[in-house]
Amino acid sequence: MKKIILLITLFLVACSSQEEPVSNFEVTFLIKCDTLLGNLDKIDEIKHSLIPDNGIIYENYALEAYEGESVFDILLRVTRDNKIHMEYVDTPIYNSAYIEGINNLYEFDAGNLSGWTYRVNDVFPNYGCSQYKVQAGDIVEWIYVYDKMLF
Amino acid sequence: MIRCYFSDYHPIVLFIYFISVISFAIFLMHPVCLLISISAAISYLALLRIKKYMLAIFLIISIINPLFNHAGVTILFYLPTGNPFTLESLLYGIATSFMIITVIAWFCCYNKVVTSDKLLYLFGKLLPQLSLIISMVLRLIPLYKIRFNKIMHANPSDNAFKTAALVVSIMVTWSMETAIDTADSMKARGYGLPNRTTFSNYKLTTRDIVVSIGLVVMSGYLICSNKLAVTYIPIFNYTQSLPDFIIYTILCYTPIILSIMEELKWKYLISKI
Repeated sequence: MKKIILLITLFLVACSSQEEPVSNFEVTFLIKCDTLLGNLDKIDEIKHSLIPDNGIIYENYALEAYEGESVFDILLRVTRDNKIHMEYVDTPIYNSAYIEGINNLYEFDAGNLSGWTYRVNDVFPNYGCSQYKVQAGDIVEWIYVYDKMLF
Repeated sequence: MIRCYFSDYHPIVLFIYFISVISFAIFLMHPVCLLISISAAISYLALLRIKKYMLAIFLIISIINPLFNHAGVTILFYLPTGNPFTLESLLYGIATSFMIITVIAWFCCYNKVVTSDKLLYLFGKLLPQLSLIISMVLRLIPLYKIRFNKIMHANPSDNAFKTAALVVSIMVTWSMETAIDTADSMKARGYGLPNRTTFSNYKLTTRDIVVSIGLVVMSGYLICSNKLAVTYIPIFNYTQSLPDFIIYTILCYTPIILSIMEELKWKYLISKI
């Protein structure tokens, strides 16, 4: 139930038709769990070794992206290319994907309200990552949040 | 093939043994412990003809876990759903299925060794109704099997459908009749009257006390030392300690060790005549 609070928007407007990848551009793409660094006591000891020292799991300031790609598409591509673990639940009928865990850091690992969320250009979009189409120069960040810690 | 001398021990010893061995089989998921326990259970049961359903359970559980559990640091490949198939989750599936097979094998041993009269003796005073019901229920299926075979021997009819109908009818009437007989017989023998005693021929001797103290000490050591930790997900990580493995091996192999010792003693005494 609490999943809903964090990330997913289950009921979504019918999506626009899939555009073909026409032109490529560059975006900034980051996967971070630095919020956990000061709160290691919140997370199981076994998982401590999974958290990088600087809290950054992946960073690329000039990632090639394609027209019409959603935040989810980029995440899937990046994690596969870089052999980063990622688990998600896909509900194609609503074109909705929910990210359960990245790099074996899962939802609920740091409390009941913890999990992965994303923000683009310092704004938390109020809808699912598979709905958000990236644009040139966007700064896309995946962030591990816990409790009511929203920026 | 050595005779099992362990089943001659006092029921309480058998009960302590099976309680500790089965609970350790469930809680110690360490790969070495699983191997020790399953080898002991199988050799105790002389169950070397491993049953087919056990292999099926093994395969199904080992494969099902990684299909639904995607956690783990070593990604082997991607499933059609898009999620990763990880080595850790496969290992965890294998360990779980090993554990389930081990527990089933231990319960097979338990059924052979702790017979219903021993169970009644152990819990007859504490939970008289429950232990009676348990022993009656456990007897039910083998009893019906025997009756079914008896009816089939009489060869009621050539027609298969008619046979089935007759067998069901005979089974039902026979079972109802014997149920009434059982109730009458129990009443005639004073079932439920206060201050009744039950007959039992079990004596707690020194060797029973020695063995049960040994079992309790070994189990207590394993619980207190708590050195055999293992995590499968997300990172396969385990600790090991040789003394713990040795003690766990002795604990699991107790009946076999005792039987071999008894056999050697017997041989030795014969040789002296």
